[in-house]
Amino acid sequence: MINTSTFLCILRRSTVAGAVVAAAVVVGPASANKDPVTPKQLKLYQEAFMEEVRKGDLLFHGDAAMAEQLGVKLSTTGWACAMCHPMASDTHPHAFPKFQQSMAKFATLRDMINWCIEKPNQGEKIDPESEAMKALEAYITWSNTGSVLVPGKY
Amino acid sequence: MSDELDRIRREMHAVLQQPGVRPDDSLQITRRTFIHRSLLFGAASVGQTFAWWPLLNTIDVAHAAEAPFKFAWISDTHLYPRSLNTRFVDKVVRAVQEVQAMDPPADFLIFGGDLAQLGKIEELELGVELLKDLKIKKYYIPGEHDWYLDMGKKWGELFGQPNWTFDHKGVRFIGLDTVSRGPDYWTAKKMTPEERMGHMATLDGTVAGAWAGVGREQLDWMQKTLADWDKSKPIVIFSHNPLYEYYPPWNFWVRDWREVNDVLKPYTKVTNIHGHVHQVLYNEIGSMRSIGMLATSWPWPYAPEGVPKLTKPMIRVDPGDPFDGVGWGTVNVNADDKVDVEYIMWGRKEVFVQSPEDHDKSIEEVIRPRIADNQYPWENP
Ligand SMILES: [Fe+2]
Ligand SMILES: [Fe+2]
Repeated sequence: MINTSTFLCILRRSTVAGAVVAAAVVVGPASANKDPVTPKQLKLYQEAFMEEVRKGDLLFHGDAAMAEQLGVKLSTTGWACAMCHPMASDTHPHAFPKFQQSMAKFATLRDMINWCIEKPNQGEKIDPESEAMKALEAYITWSNTGSVLVPGKY
Repeated sequence: MSDELDRIRREMHAVLQQPGVRPDDSLQITRRTFIHRSLLFGAASVGQTFAWWPLLNTIDVAHAAEAPFKFAWISDTHLYPRSLNTRFVDKVVRAVQEVQAMDPPADFLIFGGDLAQLGKIEELELGVELLKDLKIKKYYIPGEHDWYLDMGKKWGELFGQPNWTFDHKGVRFIGLDTVSRGPDYWTAKKMTPEERMGHMATLDGTVAGAWAGVGREQLDWMQKTLADWDKSKPIVIFSHNPLYEYYPPWNFWVRDWREVNDVLKPYTKVTNIHGHVHQVLYNEIGSMRSIGMLATSWPWPYAPEGVPKLTKPMIRVDPGDPFDGVGWGTVNVNADDKVDVEYIMWGRKEVFVQSPEDHDKSIEEVIRPRIADNQYPWENP
């Protein structure tokens, strides 16, 4: 079970959910008798998510301004993720975690993202907990919405 | 993906792929052509479907009246300035050496566009320098990556007219420019040349709209060029983009495919060879065969939908090996008008999938269009 203060704490730790935190404080459950989730709350959660998708889309397509904003160097070769993965195709987020032959290990999507940054792109590997990583993950999974989970499938 | 896309696809099948209409029988399917035989000749067992033959990326062409001959194809080299990276330079060097070593030699080389990555003078000049080592006759058509920095100025200075025709040993060859007629998406938005090029260079971008097209005046030129050509003699047409609708969101098409079909319909032995898709592709559209060639630079995945049913897909690529999934090709034209393509994919004996797991779509996916750049469906000019 997650209580209200833990929930808020989680949100506060996130660098991206300022607006959501404020909203949760104003309209969120404040007493022991929790209120149902409101459409307004849902909209805010969704907006917070889509904002990360948008950032991830830009990073994935080599947008220099977004990379600078998030303090990452995803490529030094002129390459961007989307050059091999238009619309995040052929990324298969729904198949991770799986044994990834190119790394010869049981890997997560975040491992794979860092592999692509370091190898083909020759960029600087990013912190798996960083906003840039979460944004990339958000974009890749969002783009593959509708794909059926097949964890482990090679 | 969208209703608009569905509508286009249904219309294309209705217009171009009418029952019983196929390329002339003398354009036979030969051992090295990668057509999906199970679909042509009825159901095949899984074993037959995946037990395919070893292939190379070459094009053989021959005509009954004259000597068989072979020519080579290189495209989509996407060269960056040497100062940024040389990863694609090595592959051009290798392709050039291999074409030069062909025995018997190729009669000529077709360069199928996207010589440069961002249309820069030094990228185009690097391409010329690398291809100089190839001593056979060379013909060039442009790709979008060559064009939209300076609107074809440097390309024209280096290679001349982007569309052309010549006859060789009983075959009429036509090179088309399918890239230069993009709608003006830059003036109103006051884009710099680099911004204009950047949008054009993004395969899944939508700002450049439906830029691929042949154009009315070039269609008229093609019709005039073919007017004196016997309807049953072979024609080979080179274009950067496929001349049918494969996947418009990635501009795997030309927007005026209906008009292209109108011009070519009377001719029974038409083969179109194209680049741009960076993948093995085969289709039959009316009486025309269409063949997609490998890039030397990198492979694109197959589009999430619209891959022609006749395509025998190429092998799933190892992302850790820059020489995998890419290469060049030869075309053999032989004595009974067979146009036979051979893919030369580096490091692979088997170019085509041998089992479902070898296919890049072995993990099924449903893909959405982008959010940070989405103006689809486009408003056509
Ligand atoms: Fe290309
Ligand atoms: Fe292209």
